[in-house]
Amino acid sequence: MKLIQLTVNGRRYDVPVDDDELLLDVLRDKIGAYSVREGCGVGACGACTVLVGGTSVSSCLARAVRYDGAELTTADGLPEDDAVVTAFVESRAMQCGYCIPGFVLMAHELLAENPQPDREQIVAHLEGNICRCGTYQEICRAVEVAAERRARA
Amino acid sequence: MKPPLHQPTSLAEACELLDTLEETMVYGGGTAIQILIKQGVLFAGNLVDLSRVPGLAEIEETAEGLRVGPMTTLRRMETSEVVRRRVPLAAQTYGHVANPRVRNTASVGGNIAHGDYRLDPPTALLVLGARVELTSVRGTRTVPIRDFFVDFQVTAVEPGELITALHIPAAPAGNSSTFVKMSSLGENDWPAASVAAQVDAERRTLRLGLGALAHVPRYVEVPLDGGGVDAAVAAATAAVEPELDPIPDVRGSADYKRKLGLVATEDAVRRAWEEAR
Ligand SMILES: Cc1cc2nc3c(=O)[nH]c(=O)nc-3n(C[C@H](O)[C@H](O)[C@H](O)COP(=O)(O)OP(=O)(O)OC[C@H]3O[C@@H](n4cnc5c(N)ncnc54)[C@H](O)[C@@H]3O)c2cc1C
Ligand code: FES
Ligand code: FES
Repeated sequence: MKLIQLTVNGRRYDVPVDDDELLLDVLRDKIGAYSVREGCGVGACGACTVLVGGTSVSSCLARAVRYDGAELTTADGLPEDDAVVTAFVESRAMQCGYCIPGFVLMAHELLAENPQPDREQIVAHLEGNICRCGTYQEICRAVEVAAERRARA
Repeated sequence: MKPPLHQPTSLAEACELLDTLEETMVYGGGTAIQILIKQGVLFAGNLVDLSRVPGLAEIEETAEGLRVGPMTTLRRMETSEVVRRRVPLAAQTYGHVANPRVRNTASVGGNIAHGDYRLDPPTALLVLGARVELTSVRGTRTVPIRDFFVDFQVTAVEPGELITALHIPAAPAGNSSTFVKMSSLGENDWPAASVAAQVDAERRTLRLGLGALAHVPRYVEVPLDGGGVDAAVAAATAAVEPELDPIPDVRGSADYKRKLGLVATEDAVRRAWEEAR
């Protein structure tokens, strides 16, 4: 066991972890960030997405010890009036909602790099995320709405 | 049997660990290794993590092109201004690997060391004539990428060695190139066939890198004798055909991949030609 320090949504945690413990399990079981979810477990669906210093990472393939000192954002840490979150809600972009935290964080990463993406750029950034309910059209629309809103704000 | 993860903080220490520990395996981005662990097929006694070794994630502009550190992420290869300017074919190809999250974590060194026959980046690196720098306690040596992929999942990396750089020469002025990837299961899945193609300014030589079409990534050089694009396509497909020996899997039968390989070859040659006009 090693003691590592993680800052999750602005709060600091000192957590003991095993060498091979996944960031996904640490976030869920030791920190209680339940918006980080397991889907495929092999990097292909995006349900387990977290932002590390603003960069998207599949926490299902990430060993927690390698993130000692990192600043993480998970979807449950976003403010209620977050432009992306409200755009997802208003665009009715979720059915069961399982995949949505991952999509929301990928949208944040995209809009930080490219505040006015076109449809093609949205699809290119989000195409590694899977929604079993198939709300892709609404999700793309939500990202466009969020971009418009952020431009006006 | 969980292999312990060692986290050296200098290159010398990393080489030392790789030399003295039993059954070592370098840990780069970990995206391939973690999947092997989940599948229960990782056979390693000790993992040596490079993430704390300083200076391994740099991209330097050199006289001939670029020197890229092994821990540079695939996403930086895709987005970095200097990579796009000096070796656009490499930037384009790295941008087609998996999805943005995997590209944010996977490393340039781990990508080629993984040695999978379906990897996309080797297609471009073969065409560009990259060189791989390998370091161990015994010193440093350089292997041309065209000799790097030895056999099915076997690379030129010897026990105790790690990749410390990738040298990528920029293509001479007037060359034009492109990368074509055909996937049968999903847009950012592994390819069923991929081809990088480059045509030189004089249109005398076509360079092709093939992915997922044989047990190793393959390099094919095609001399051209001055015809138009149709003659170039015919020469390319004739040269590629005997190299095709695809492995059937969920992404398609050997026959299907062979056909797709020829389609991808034609597409890549036509697009590279088009660019050159
Ligand atoms: C969902 C998903 C989809 C994918 N789709 C594609 C795709 O479409 N196209 C494609 O090309 N690839 C694809 N990949 C594979 C991906 O490119 C590799 O997993 C990745 O590049 C491996 O890099 P890494 O740094 O994570 O390697 P690691 O997992 O760290 O290591 C892989 C191998 O390289 C060795 N190694 C690592 N670094 C070094 C070094 N510096 N020196 C010597 N040996 C080293 C390790 O010992 C190990 O054997 C996909 C992966 C995932 C998870
Ligand atoms: S659970 Fe991590 S990407 Fe699917
Ligand atoms: S809303 Fe159900 S999986 Fe996406």
